Amino acid sequence: MHDKLIQKLEILSDAAKYDASCASGTAGKRKAGKTDKTGIGSLTGGTGICHSFTPDGRCVSLLKILMTNYCIYDCHYCINRVSSSVQRARFTVKETVDLTLNFYKRNYIEGLFLSSGIVGSPDITMESMVRIAKSLRIDHGFKGYIHLKTIPNASPELQAEAGLYADRLSINVEMPTQPSLNKYAPEKDLGAIHNSMNTLKDKIAEHKVDKTHSGKRPPRFAPGGQSTQMIIGADDSSDKIILGTSVKLYSQQKLRRVYYSAFSPIPDASEVLPLKPAPLIREHRLYQADWLLRFYGFNLDEILHNDMLDMDHDPKLAWALRNRHVFPIDLNKADKLLLLRIPGLGARTVQKILAIRRYTKLSWMDLTKMRLPLQKLKPFITVSDYSPAIHLLDSNNFELQFKQPKQFELFGA
Amino acid sequence: MKTITITSVPGYNEWRIAARECLAQSIPPENIIWQSSESIQNDLFGDTEEVTPAPIEQMKHSIPKSVLMLFKYALCHQDISRFALCYRVLWRVIFQNKNLIQLKTDEDIMQLMTLAKAVKRDAYKMSAFLRFREVALDEQEHFIAWYEPEHFSLEIKLDFFQTRFKNMRWSILTPYRAAHWDTEKLVLEDNPDPSVCPDDDRIEKYWLTYYTNIFNPARIKKNAMLSSMPKKYWKNMPETALIDDMIKQSDARARKMIIDGNKR
Ligand code: SF4
Repeated sequence: MHDKLIQKLEILSDAAKYDASCASGTAGKRKAGKTDKTGIGSLTGGTGICHSFTPDGRCVSLLKILMTNYCIYDCHYCINRVSSSVQRARFTVKETVDLTLNFYKRNYIEGLFLSSGIVGSPDITMESMVRIAKSLRIDHGFKGYIHLKTIPNASPELQAEAGLYADRLSINVEMPTQPSLNKYAPEKDLGAIHNSMNTLKDKIAEHKVDKTHSGKRPPRFAPGGQSTQMIIGADDSSDKIILGTSVKLYSQQKLRRVYYSAFSPIPDASEVLPLKPAPLIREHRLYQADWLLRFYGFNLDEILHNDMLDMDHDPKLAWALRNRHVFPIDLNKADKLLLLRIPGLGARTVQKILAIRRYTKLSWMDLTKMRLPLQKLKPFITVSDYSPAIHLLDSNNFELQFKQPKQFELFGA
Repeated sequence: MKTITITSVPGYNEWRIAARECLAQSIPPENIIWQSSESIQNDLFGDTEEVTPAPIEQMKHSIPKSVLMLFKYALCHQDISRFALCYRVLWRVIFQNKNLIQLKTDEDIMQLMTLAKAVKRDAYKMSAFLRFREVALDEQEHFIAWYEPEHFSLEIKLDFFQTRFKNMRWSILTPYRAAHWDTEKLVLEDNPDPSVCPDDDRIEKYWLTYYTNIFNPARIKKNAMLSSMPKKYWKNMPETALIDDMIKQSDARARKMIIDGNKR
């Protein structure tokens, strides 16, 4: 390794940072066998370890790089598009493999997140990426995490091979609608992206069965599933359209995770793009809404009562404020789904409450001991020795007391 | 009144044996004083070659596994009150309420959880923030790390490091104990000498390059970073030396992106 490599690394990690999907997802457990004399790494189950944090507050878990930032496509929001004047570089297969292993051995990372611009053709690019993953797995017995961002329009065979070595595969949809794609990423086609996702979905399902009828375990295939990313605020799609797209991706393509990335200006930007970054608070609210849709039993209509999410309140509180008749809710009696609707109660706390309830009745004192956000909870709950004063929920000032200071803008811009 | 002196750290095994004896003699928690001596001795879970008395879980009292797990973590805490606390909980689980652990608002359980949680977090941070540096020992790759955990977290994470870096030779040094792994055997050494740790590593410059370049200067969130990676951990992590400069220059870098954007 010499200094040319430093230069490549600068260019190709810088180019990768605009991708939001940084965390390693859950892909089960994995480790070297007791008698294995070679090989390195493990998956500990759960999400990967955050080995460091950068001053933007993000977790560093993976070596997140582009194989190359050369690209024959011209997506406007992308710093690597063919018409951009950015400096270009390309890692060889061996360089990428060595860098990953060397970082891993020093306990810097959980694994590799590899994406790439398109060199030559989608298939040529995808083939090199697959070779990197294959070399790590087969030549080096690498048991850490591998996430490959598959190349749109690459052949189904290559995508299928990628799934044999990667823990997670992803294709970015980038924009929630085809018209927006036409405008910002003219070579990309939502239909083709969905097709790829569907192929992978079927493969993943096929390999999930415990044993085939011949009694053999099928090989692992992208056990961490698929994810994707949408850029927020570059086009004029509303939150309703964005979340609607997400709901479809979760239900039809069975994606594990949709990431939202507030558009932020890139160097040497194209003319069709807005000049200003999209507010981070919008990205944050979308993540909150996404969470409610997936884990809290909310549906889209409940979360959105017009086209945009409420920026002043988190979506759960906003729902509660619109549905005051549901409250107060008795923590000692309500079922799980109802408990999950109480602003200030997370899924874990709800689990705790359900466990405690089996042995004892919850009192106000118990809530203080559990260090719950009582100020927020107060108007919405009843326990054995407490119920809110009737006027708490009715008062006109009620909404005001939940207004949050606009921290996000302060720290974000 | 009975006084029990634990002479090792974390003291898990000693506590286990003592607790078992006290139970056999039906000594209630309020009649025992637990203290610990200064000396440090090897006391690894399950690392007991001599014949040891049956562990608690095999005694006629059956203790739920979840409780034993909590003890394991809590007993790696620095807090000297951990021995008395665990015995008290043990006593209460056996004689008062076998579901005690479910009473998340019970004072003892809350304290036990607090200790266990602190150790869990400390141990997690150790698996995250520990950094190996490479040296050549007997012409073979050997990796050495110096790490200062807040509690006795080395004991908790040995499994993790042995599994993940099974085919690597490595040494992890902490102020109270070192663990050396040669791909097959683990050797522990008390009060190791930190001067054997190298000050540099041939790959570190690439890591620093990577760290500087993946961060987005348009989005400084220093507090979010600090809450996940408090300063007390910084001294073991080479990349943290860059942070101040990265923040100082971020404004200029972010503005440059916008200006570049405006030039079109
Ligand atoms: S295909 Fe990917 S790398 Fe190429 S311009 Fe589009 S987004 Fe950028």
